[in-house]
Amino acid sequence: MKIKQQEPASLQQQTTPMIDVTFQLLTFFMFTLRIVGPEGDFNINMPPPGAGAARAEILPDIKVRLLADANGNLASLKLGDRQLGIGPGAFQLLNAEILKLVGGANSARSTDIEIEIDADYNLHFDNVVKAIGACTGRLGPDGKTIIRYVEKIKFAPPKANPDA
Amino acid sequence: MRFRSPPMPSAEMDMTPMMDLTFQLISFFMMVTNFDQTQVDERVRLPTDALAKPPEVRVEHQLVVNIGYKRAKDGTRLDPQPFVFLSGEELRIPEYRSRLQQEARIYQAKEVSLNDVTIVVRADSDVPTGQVQEFIKMSQDTKFEKFTLRAQQPID
Repeated sequence: MKIKQQEPASLQQQTTPMIDVTFQLLTFFMFTLRIVGPEGDFNINMPPPGAGAARAEILPDIKVRLLADANGNLASLKLGDRQLGIGPGAFQLLNAEILKLVGGANSARSTDIEIEIDADYNLHFDNVVKAIGACTGRLGPDGKTIIRYVEKIKFAPPKANPDA
Repeated sequence: MRFRSPPMPSAEMDMTPMMDLTFQLISFFMMVTNFDQTQVDERVRLPTDALAKPPEVRVEHQLVVNIGYKRAKDGTRLDPQPFVFLSGEELRIPEYRSRLQQEARIYQAKEVSLNDVTIVVRADSDVPTGQVQEFIKMSQDTKFEKFTLRAQQPID
């Protein structure tokens, strides 16, 4: 009698469960991926009310005033009493004037001087961020490093809501 | 003479290249996924500024607050008043006071001083500055002292 030899059992590993899990992982990462631009922070110095009163007598703050029109757009930008205009040119001018007041980039005074941002209630927030950016400094020639003019920026006490 | 039939060609597909590619895709998505940004709300349209750089030192305790508008798909505001966006919940800015107090109690229970907690304000470009200031004042009343304003870097 001839005995038929059995076929050897397949040694191939079962890959189906691994593929299933891998595709589930891939789907999870694809759905949770959010493509957003890089974000950064501007520190603002907001001590509790009354804490900065003694300091102000020694070194007066530089005041940046932002006035809004009826729609919340920037109507006027002032550094102290000086009118700087509106639009991107005004923020560039503010940046140049702050540099003059501080006495050069990364100077010793940059840590002592404090800038007070005084904005109208209805002014759109992006104008305030532009003003803070203009006061903070500028980008270096490499486009990455920040050349700082001023370290301390604070808000003036909030104004009353004109619509209330 | 007995003929032996040739073995049947395997009908199984070779999965190796597909698996290679899939693992590469997983690696890519794992690298680009930023789990730090789970507190970010996409409805907030941040102001842009070139000087907005990510902090060099990681802040240990931070509370991210998203202030923005409910908008239609074309960008028009559905409500003239801004909201504080929480996960699945929208509150008016004054309504957020109780949540701030709750957060303060949680930090205190964890024995974290509120002086060490930074409130990251992610406010929409169009939010009135007065409302952002009111929010900061409200946080100061709850004994928070450190604040940062978040902005987005312009995309070239």
